[in-house]
Amino acid sequence: MQPLAHARRTAAWLLAAPSRVFVAAVSALVLVLAGAVLFAWSGVYNVAASSGHFRIVDHFLRFGMENSVRARAPSTSLPPGIDESLVRLGAGHFHAGCAYCHGSPGTPISPVAARMLPPPPVLTERVGRWSDGELFWIVKHGLKYAGMPGFPSLHRDDEIWAVIAFLRRLPSLDRPGYRALALGEVEPEPQRGMGVATGQSEPDAIGACARCHGERQGPPSRLVPILHGQPAAMLENALRAYAKGERDSGVMQTATIGLPDSTVRHLAAYYASLPRPPASIETIDQAAAARGEAIARDGVPSHGVPSCLGCHGQSAAPDYPRLAGQPARYLEGQLAVWRKGLNDRSATGRIMAPIARRLSEAQSRDLAAYFASLAAPREAPR
Amino acid sequence: MTVRGRRLAAIFILAALPGWAPQSALAPAGDEAERIALLSWILFVGATAILLIVIAALALAIHGAEPVRRVIGSEGAIRWGGIVFPSVVLTLLLGYGLWLMREAIAAQTTPALRIAVTGEQWWWRVDYQRDGAAPVREANEIRIPVGREIDFALRSNDVIHSFWVPSLGGKLDMIPGRTNTLRLKAERPGMYRGQCAEYCGGPHALMALEIVAVPEAEFQAWLAAADARNELAEPKVAAGEKLFLSAGCGACHAVRGTQAAGMVGPDLSRVGGRRFLAAATLRNTAENLAGFITDPQVAKPGALMPPFEIFTSEEMDALTAYLGSLR
Repeated sequence: MQPLAHARRTAAWLLAAPSRVFVAAVSALVLVLAGAVLFAWSGVYNVAASSGHFRIVDHFLRFGMENSVRARAPSTSLPPGIDESLVRLGAGHFHAGCAYCHGSPGTPISPVAARMLPPPPVLTERVGRWSDGELFWIVKHGLKYAGMPGFPSLHRDDEIWAVIAFLRRLPSLDRPGYRALALGEVEPEPQRGMGVATGQSEPDAIGACARCHGERQGPPSRLVPILHGQPAAMLENALRAYAKGERDSGVMQTATIGLPDSTVRHLAAYYASLPRPPASIETIDQAAAARGEAIARDGVPSHGVPSCLGCHGQSAAPDYPRLAGQPARYLEGQLAVWRKGLNDRSATGRIMAPIARRLSEAQSRDLAAYFASLAAPREAPR
Repeated sequence: MTVRGRRLAAIFILAALPGWAPQSALAPAGDEAERIALLSWILFVGATAILLIVIAALALAIHGAEPVRRVIGSEGAIRWGGIVFPSVVLTLLLGYGLWLMREAIAAQTTPALRIAVTGEQWWWRVDYQRDGAAPVREANEIRIPVGREIDFALRSNDVIHSFWVPSLGGKLDMIPGRTNTLRLKAERPGMYRGQCAEYCGGPHALMALEIVAVPEAEFQAWLAAADARNELAEPKVAAGEKLFLSAGCGACHAVRGTQAAGMVGPDLSRVGGRRFLAAATLRNTAENLAGFITDPQVAKPGALMPPFEIFTSEEMDALTAYLGSLR
């Protein structure tokens, strides 16, 4: 019993004075830190992803992650009902940004991504465990130490909600269903040996603009603009602004980054030359469209709002987009982005930013209805 | 003294000199301004005389001989010098001032011309009323005929401004929802500078205007030429007009005779003929014009106009050539 008695005596001596307690605590802390540094320095710890975690470590990490997400996630959820435009936009981005690591119906996770630690989950099985808000938080912010990245733009919650809307649809999709949503009218050529070998045909067509914007047809989602017949100069500027991050969009930044200048020019010229796709039927609130027409024609001079048609009519400079016949939801969404104070870093963005901020939400809605109600000219201007 | 201090001192001295004609209440060039100047001089001279009398009385009260001090300290001196004298002098001055200003308050005769001036943040909208025709719209530079009585109908579209051209008359506030009328007359041809005299937000100090008084015949010719279409002989000027219209300038600015009919910003129908830009704050040169178009916030922080950085230098050349040709 001697060692025990000795320890008891030492403890009593240490606790007798506050200064001794303090010194003891600091010494203990220094010892622990030194031990940790020694542990890291020695290289004893195996950082190999291939070696996996001990089961208890794995459980502990998952426990911490799930609680952190639940504590931070917003309580908002998707509006009830099926929003096909939202799902389609989300599918388009999922195909470009998420499918490589998470796989997609009919396409397994790449073995390269599957060897990450932790391995990216097959989402079909997992999304049901999380609420909308929790999924939103994970897609927006990503997960530390898990290889899950945050969304490319932290300002475009509307785009993130589109991804969530798609994730809710994902578990019910088979391969053809998935490809119809994510690839739209794009049908990669049947896989011929030479095409695949030389890269001429790309089975997943990830970079194909027409997946979301259409080519023979218009965009399948009303949250996506019709590019057919827009001025080439405007399209070029938009592509460059997205790639540089001067225009805020996680979806479009992912799609445009790294496009060589010659590609940007050819792409813009191609869409500029396309005839307008057959208009899809959109129900327009005629009263709103009439109010919007008044603003579009005469502006709101008392609020410093000029006529929209001065820059967005058919005879305006090629730097500006033509708005006639664009989907109302896309226009409304963009005006909301302007009102949030975004998109004001490109040359044309700096022109529009102060004007858009002078428009109210109701005025924006009326304007979107008006421009959507206009039958766009069939021929391509300029 | 620092450079800044010296500059400020120079400005104060210049402003006080009657010879600094463009903007000085002491260099009157119109009836009302002359009456104000006369009243000011009476005040200055009278106040100086009274100040000297008070100083003399003070000196005598301290150092004077016993009988003098007794008189100054008496109740009679206080009654007469401290109550009766100021009451009489101030009453006379008030009556004289009201009598002098009677015409500014209620003019009996009909004016030769009525010009509506509307204050905007931070410039002046100008409309020349014409019989049987639409008013001629201008901005920031007001031409008037010499020797004719002109009524300025003063309004505001946003906040309270004040219209003051010191060489021609007194100032009058421009109040939203009200029309205040100010009658002015320029006796001699010349440039008379004016300024917003009521703080109206951010660049209030950069809200100035110029009144250009010209002989009657010249004025009538200028007004009659308002509807004439500008010649676009030069290809550069024609290219500039095309650019002006396609780049959306016309959504905010009007140019008579073109599709440009915007009401948000100043009318540019004759901008090339003005001496200054941006409400009499920048000399009207091609460089200043180009600079203002590229980033208006530099010259006028808070202005509604967004920056237009989309033009190449050739395009900007054509645009400024076009605007310069509008006279």
